[in-house]
Amino acid sequence: MLQVKDINVYYGAIQAINNVSLEVEKGEIVAIIGSNGAGKSTLMRTLSGLLRTRSGAIRFLDEDITDLEPDAIVRRGISQSPEGRKIFTNMSVHENLLIGATTRTDAQGIKEDMEHVLERFPRLRERLKQNAGTLSGGEQQMLAIGRALMSQPKLLLLDEPSMGLAPNLVAEIFDIITDVKAEGVTVLVVEQNAHKALGIADRAYVLETGSLVLQGTGQELLHSDKVREAYLGG
Amino acid sequence: MIDPLSLTAGLDATALPQQLLNGLMFGAIYALVALGYTMVYGVLKLINFAHGEVFMIGAYTALFVSWQMGYFQGASGLTRATNPGILILMLITAMVVCGFLGVLIERFAYRPMRKQPRIASLITAIGVSMLLQYGGALVLPVSPPRSILEQVNPYDGNLSIPLKPRDGELNAAFAKAKEAEAAAKATLEQRIKQEGVSSEFDLSDEGKQIRSASQSAAQATRDAENKYLASGMSLNIPYGQGIMFLATLALMGLLTYLVMFTKTGRQMRAVAHDFDSASLMGINVDKIVTITFIIGSSLAGAGAMMCATFLGTQLTSFVGVPWGVKAFVAAVLGGIGNIPGAVLGGLLIGVAETMVVWAGGSQYKDAIAFVILILVLLVKPGGLLGSAKVEKV
Amino acid sequence: MKFWAIRVGSILLAVLVSYGIGMVAQGSSGTVSRLIALAGLYVTLAVSLNLINGITGQFSIGHAAFYQVGSYTAAFLASQLLARGTINNLGTPIPWVLAAVGIAIVTSGIAGFLIGLPSLRLRGDYLAIVTLGFGEILRIIIQNTPQLGGSYGINSPKAFVVPYVWMLAFLCIGACRNLLQTAHGLSFLSVREDEVASGAMGVNVTRVKVAAFVLGSAFAGAAGALLTFNEGFINVNSFTMDVSFIILTMVVLGGTGSITGSIIAALALFTLPEFLRDAPPMPLNAVLGTLAGVALLVGTIRLALDQKKLGRDFLTPKTYMGFGIAAVGGVIVSILANFLPALANRTIPSAELRMVIFSAVLVIMMLLRPQGIFGHREFGLGSIFKRAQA
Repeated sequence: MLQVKDINVYYGAIQAINNVSLEVEKGEIVAIIGSNGAGKSTLMRTLSGLLRTRSGAIRFLDEDITDLEPDAIVRRGISQSPEGRKIFTNMSVHENLLIGATTRTDAQGIKEDMEHVLERFPRLRERLKQNAGTLSGGEQQMLAIGRALMSQPKLLLLDEPSMGLAPNLVAEIFDIITDVKAEGVTVLVVEQNAHKALGIADRAYVLETGSLVLQGTGQELLHSDKVREAYLGG
Repeated sequence: MIDPLSLTAGLDATALPQQLLNGLMFGAIYALVALGYTMVYGVLKLINFAHGEVFMIGAYTALFVSWQMGYFQGASGLTRATNPGILILMLITAMVVCGFLGVLIERFAYRPMRKQPRIASLITAIGVSMLLQYGGALVLPVSPPRSILEQVNPYDGNLSIPLKPRDGELNAAFAKAKEAEAAAKATLEQRIKQEGVSSEFDLSDEGKQIRSASQSAAQATRDAENKYLASGMSLNIPYGQGIMFLATLALMGLLTYLVMFTKTGRQMRAVAHDFDSASLMGINVDKIVTITFIIGSSLAGAGAMMCATFLGTQLTSFVGVPWGVKAFVAAVLGGIGNIPGAVLGGLLIGVAETMVVWAGGSQYKDAIAFVILILVLLVKPGGLLGSAKVEKV
Repeated sequence: MKFWAIRVGSILLAVLVSYGIGMVAQGSSGTVSRLIALAGLYVTLAVSLNLINGITGQFSIGHAAFYQVGSYTAAFLASQLLARGTINNLGTPIPWVLAAVGIAIVTSGIAGFLIGLPSLRLRGDYLAIVTLGFGEILRIIIQNTPQLGGSYGINSPKAFVVPYVWMLAFLCIGACRNLLQTAHGLSFLSVREDEVASGAMGVNVTRVKVAAFVLGSAFAGAAGALLTFNEGFINVNSFTMDVSFIILTMVVLGGTGSITGSIIAALALFTLPEFLRDAPPMPLNAVLGTLAGVALLVGTIRLALDQKKLGRDFLTPKTYMGFGIAAVGGVIVSILANFLPALANRTIPSAELRMVIFSAVLVIMMLLRPQGIFGHREFGLGSIFKRAQA
C-alpha cells in the first residue's frame, strides 16, 4: 500500500533521515519505534508532505506522492494525528472534527462518520460544544484520532499517540488503534512506548538516528535481545 | 467632509452626541481597514505594511470609475446622479481591484518569504509599500481636493433625528427678527428705487442709516436663528455617510458570518492556529491564505471607496499611509489577529479622534491613536481583546 | 599590554581617518561635503539600531524618533544661544557643538529609557508599533510647539562637523564591537536568542534590554545633534516613518546582528539614490516594463533557490521558462503602458525614480537574500587573515 524507498531528509545541512525504506501492506498495523530524536516525527512529517525529501521516493497505492502537497496527500487517503496532538484549541470539539473532514464534500457521509466517531469516543460527545482547549490530555488524543478518521483515511499515521498520557489511558488508546484496524484502516504508528506498540503491531521497524536498524514482526522484535536492551528496559 | 469644528466651538456639550456619531462613522472605516491587517496577521503573523497602499489603489479605482462615468471636475452639464448605480459600481470595482492586488502582493512578495525570518518578510512588506507609494506617484494623478465629486452620490441632504425639541419662544423671536429683517430690506430696496442708484453709492446720511439698519437686522436674524437652533438638540447624519456606516456594518457582519459559520472560515481559523496542523487536515493552506488576502484587501478597497466618496478625502499616492497606520494601530489596540478586536479598536480610535477635535485639540488629532495605544498596551500588553482565549483568525 | 596598544592604536587611527574624511569634505563642493556627513550619520544610525534590533533582538522600528530628539535638543539649544547673543548666525563654534551633542545624548538616552521600559512587557510586533507611535507623537508635539519651530522648522547656525560625524560613527562601531566581545555583550546576544533561558542563566534581562535601548538611542541622538549643525535647519520632515524604515532596512539588509553588514548596507543604500540624481530622464513605459520584468525574474530565481536548498538542480527547464516569461512579460508591460493615454510617451526625471528604485532593490534583496548580506557574521581584516590561513 505504502512504499518508501531510500528517502533522505535534511534540516539545512543536518541529515535527519538517512536512506530509509519501508513498506506498509493493506490492513496491517506497522509500528516504528525509536528513542527521542531518532527521526520518527521527521519521517511522519515527510510522509504527510510537510517536509521534502532530498532524494528517494514515496509511493502510495501505486502513485508517486513524493512531491505532493500535504492537502493532496490527505485527499489520496493518508491522514495523520500529529505529535503533540495539535488540536485546534481555538475551536469547539465539533468544529475540530469537521476540520478533519475538510477534503470531503458528502454532507451525509460526514454526518454518519461524525456519529461513528462520537460512538467510539462517547466522552467527545459530552463535550461536543466545548472549546477543545478545555479537554484533558486523553480526551485531546481521542479528538486528534477522531479528527484524523473524519477524512476516511485508507492509511492512518499516528505520531506518538501515547505521549504524556496516564497508563490506563495509554491502554485505552492502543485498544482504539486495534479497533480502527479491525474496521479496515491500515495504521502506521510511531512510538516511544515500544512495549505497547510492538504488542499490537503486525510488523515493526526500529529507527535509530535517522536509519532503520531492525525490522520484523511485532512479536519478533518484542522478544529480540537488542530491542529488549535498548527500548524495553532490559 | 465632516468638519467637527464647524459644528461646535469649544466644549459644547450639546454637540457631544453628534460628535460621538461622527466618530463612529470615521471609526467604521478604520475598522474596515483594520480587519485586513488583523486577518493577514492572523494567518501569516505578518504586518502587511502594503495594506495602506491597497487602500490607496482602492480609492483611485473608485476615482477612475467615477471619471469614466463622466463625473470629473469641469465636465459639462454635471448633475447629481439619480440612482446609486455608480456608487455600487465604484464599490464593486474597488473591491475587486484591491482583492486582485492583494493576491498579487501575497503571491509574489510574501509567499516566497514564508519560510524566512519574520523581520525579512516585514522589510519586504515595507518595500512593497514604498514601491507602491513612490511608483504610484509616477503614474497616478494628484486630483484637486474632494477628488471624487459629490454629485456621484444621489442622496443629498441630512437625516435629522431630533433629540430635544427647540424652544418655542426663541422660535417666535426668530420669526419676529425675520419680519424685521424683511421690513428693513424693503425700506432699503425702496430707497434704491427712489434714488435710482445702487446702494453702495448712496452716500447721504439717510442712505447710510437705512443700509446699516438692514445689515444689523440681518445680523439679528442670524443670531436669533442660531439661538433657536442651539436651543434644541438633533443628530444630523448626511445620507451618504449614513449609507456608508450601514454598508460598513453589513460588511463586518458578512465577514463574521463567513469566518465563524462557513467551511472556509473554519479553515481560516485552523490555518491561523497552526499552519502545519491545518495542512495535515487536508486544508490547502495556500488557497486559504489567498482567500484571506482577497477578503482583507477587498475590505480595504470598500473602506477606501467610501472614504473617498463620502468623506471627500483628497487622493495622492501617499493617502494610504495615515489611514493604513491608524487602521494598523486599531488592529493592535484590539489585539492583533482578533476580528472583534479590530472593529472595537477602529471604532475607539474614530471616536477618540473626533473627541480630541471637539475638545479643541484638532492639531493633536493624529497623535491620539498612538497615545491610546501606548496607554492600553502598558496595561494590557496583548491589546484589548488579545488574550489567548478569544477567537482568532 | 598588547591589548591596550591595539585599543589606543585603533582610537588614534579612527581619529586620523575622521580628520582625513573631514579634509576631503572640506576640499569638495558643499553638496558632496553634506553627503559625506550624512553617510556617516546613517552609519551611526544603522549600527546603533542594530544594537537594539539585531544584537538584543528587540523589534524597534521607530529609530528616527531618537534621532529627532537629539536633533531638536541641539537645535533648541542653538536657538537659545542665538537669542542670548552667545553665538551668531555665522556659525556655531565647535565647543558649543560638542556641548550640544553631549546634552542631546542625555535627552535621547532618557527617551530611549522611557521607550525601553514598556519594551519589557511588550513583545515583537507590539513593541514595534509602540516605537513607531512614539515617533509620531513626538512629531506632532513638535509641530505644535512654536519654541521648536512648529511645522516650519528651526534654524541653527551651521558648523563644519564632518570629522565629528565620522568620529561618532567609529565610536559607535567600536562600542558595539567591544560590547560583543565582553561578557556583557554575550548577555546581549543571549537575550536575542532566548530571553527566558538567559534569564534563568542569571542574565539580568531587564537591564540588558533597557541598556540596549538607552545606548542605541543615545548614539542616534548624538547623530541627530550633528545633523542639526551640518544642515543649519531642520524640520519634522527629516524624521518621518520613512526615515525609520530606511534605517531598519539598512540593518536587515546588512544582516541583522552584523555590524559590518549594517555599515556596508548603510553606505550602499545611502549612495545608491545619489547616483540617480544626475541620470537622464527615462521613458515611463520602459521603467514600468523593467520593474515588471525584474519582479518576474526575481520570483523565478527565488523558486529556483528554494529547489537548490532541497539539493535539487538550480537550472531546470522550469527556471529557463521563468526567465523567458520575465523577459516577455517586461516587454509586454512596456508596450501596454504606451496604449494607456495617461501613461504613453511620458518621461520621468531620474530624481523621482530614486525612491522607486530604492524600494524595488529592497524587495529584490529580501527575496533573494533574506538573511541579509552578511547574516549574523562579521567581516573584517581579522576574518580575511583567518581565511587566508585556513
